[in-house]
Amino acid sequence: MLVGQLLSAGIEFTLNQLVQLDPDCQGRLKKLSNKQLQVTVRELPWSLLFSFSQQIDVSTLTPSDQETSTESTADCHITLDLSTLAELKDSSKISQLIQQGKLDLAGDINVAQGFSNLMKELDIDWEEQLSNYTGDVVAHQTFSSVKSFFNTAQQEIEKLADQFSTRLTQPDAVAVTPAEVEDFCEHVNTLRSDCDRLEARIDNLIASQQDDK
Amino acid sequence: MSVSENNATIAANPSASQEQTQESSEKTHFGFQQVDKNAKASMVAEVFQSVAAKYDIMNDVMSMGIHRLWKRFTIDCSGARAGHKVLDLAGGTGDLTAKFSRIVGDSGEVVLADINDAMLRVGRDKLRDKGIVGNVQYVQANAEALPFPDNSFDIITIAFGLRNVTDKDKALASMYRVLKPGGRLLVLEFSKPTSEILNKVYDAYSFHLLPKIGELVAKDGDSYKYLAESIRMHPEQDVLKDMMQDAGFEQVTYHNLTGGIVALHRGFKF
Repeated sequence: MLVGQLLSAGIEFTLNQLVQLDPDCQGRLKKLSNKQLQVTVRELPWSLLFSFSQQIDVSTLTPSDQETSTESTADCHITLDLSTLAELKDSSKISQLIQQGKLDLAGDINVAQGFSNLMKELDIDWEEQLSNYTGDVVAHQTFSSVKSFFNTAQQEIEKLADQFSTRLTQPDAVAVTPAEVEDFCEHVNTLRSDCDRLEARIDNLIASQQDDK
Repeated sequence: MSVSENNATIAANPSASQEQTQESSEKTHFGFQQVDKNAKASMVAEVFQSVAAKYDIMNDVMSMGIHRLWKRFTIDCSGARAGHKVLDLAGGTGDLTAKFSRIVGDSGEVVLADINDAMLRVGRDKLRDKGIVGNVQYVQANAEALPFPDNSFDIITIAFGLRNVTDKDKALASMYRVLKPGGRLLVLEFSKPTSEILNKVYDAYSFHLLPKIGELVAKDGDSYKYLAESIRMHPEQDVLKDMMQDAGFEQVTYHNLTGGIVALHRGFKF
C-alpha cells in the first residue's frame, strides 16, 4: 500500500539533495515555480506528480485519484515506457520521441523541457561538498588520489589491450591481421574468377563438340 | 472572531465553550476515563501543551518514521492542485501544511488550524524556519465550530486529531459546512488492526512500551498512556465511515494503512 509513497519519498529526497548541492540550480528551479509535471510510466501502477516551488515535491497519483480529482490537472502530462525514460535526459530529443510515438505529451512542453534541463545542467562540485565534512586538504587529496587512480587504471587498460592485440597478431599468433584477411579474400576472388572462366571454356568446348557431330 | 493578517493567529468561537457549559452534565470519554463533556477539551489541551515541544520527535520514535508515509499517502489522496484552498485541521506542528503550501502555490492558500495554541506556535515557528510563508494562515479554532464561512475550502484534512474532539458528529458537520461542493475531507486516524495477531502485538506495544518511550523521550508517560487509551476509544473504520455519511459526505471510502493501525477515510461533498 505504501510502496508508492516510499518511492516518491526517495525520489523527492534525492532530487532535493541534488538541487541543494548546485548553487546555480535555484535560478533554474525558480523558472518552474508553481508548475506541475505529471509523469506516467506505463509499467508502474501510479503516476508521479512533480510540483515545483523552492523545492521539488513528488506525489503519487493512482488511477482512481486521477478520475476523482476535482478540476485542474498538471501543467504538463507525459506518458512513456520505462525504456524511454533515460532518453528524456536530452530535452532536445523530446520532440523526436513524440514523433516516434514513444512519448505522449499533453500540456505545456516547456515544463517537461525545463525539468529535463534542470537535471541535465546540474553541476555539483563533489570535492567542495566533501570538504564541508573533511576539510579542504583531505578533500583535495582524496579527489586527487581518486583521479590519479582512474587515470592510471585507464592507461593500464589501454596498455593491456595493445599487448593483447599484438600477441594475437604475432608470427605465432592465434589470429590473423586485417591485411592477411584482405589478401586471403583477394586470392579467393581470383580463384573464383579463374573457376568461372574455366567453366565457360569447358561449356564452349562441349558445345563445339556437339556441333561437329 | 477577528480576522488576522497573513501568518497571524486568530482565536475563534467563544460561543463553542458556552454551549459546552450548558452540556456540563453530560459525560464523555477521556481515554478510558469518563469525564464531564465540557472538561474534555481542556484535559486534551493539557496533554498537547505538555507534549508540543517533543511532538515531532515522539512521532518519529513511536511510529519508527512510518507516520511520514501515512501523511504522504493522505496528501497523495487529496488531489491538491495549484490554486486550491486547504484547511489542515488539528494540523499541530504543520507536517501536512508544509507540503500543501508548496503544492497549492502562490495562487492557493493553506489554513493551519488547531485548538491548542502551544501546538500552533510550534507549527508556526517550524514552518517559518523552513521559509514557508506567504500562503499559510494560522487559526486557533475548535473543530466543532469552525470559524469559516460556508463552502470555503477545496480540501480539509484532519490527521490524528478527530479522536481528541469531544463531539465528533458536530465536528464532521462543521467540516461539511465549510467544504466547497466538489471538495473532499480526509480523516487520517488511528484505527483497528485487521489481524488479531497484529492487534495483540499492537496492544502490548501501546500499553506497555509506548508510555515508557513517552517517559524517556518527552518526560511524560501519562500523555502517551492517554494516547493509547484514546486510540482504543476511537470509532473503528466502518463506524467512522457511517458517521461521515451521516454528516452528509458522499462516496465515503477508507484505506487501511499498516494493517489497519491507521486508516484514511475520504468523503466528498457534492
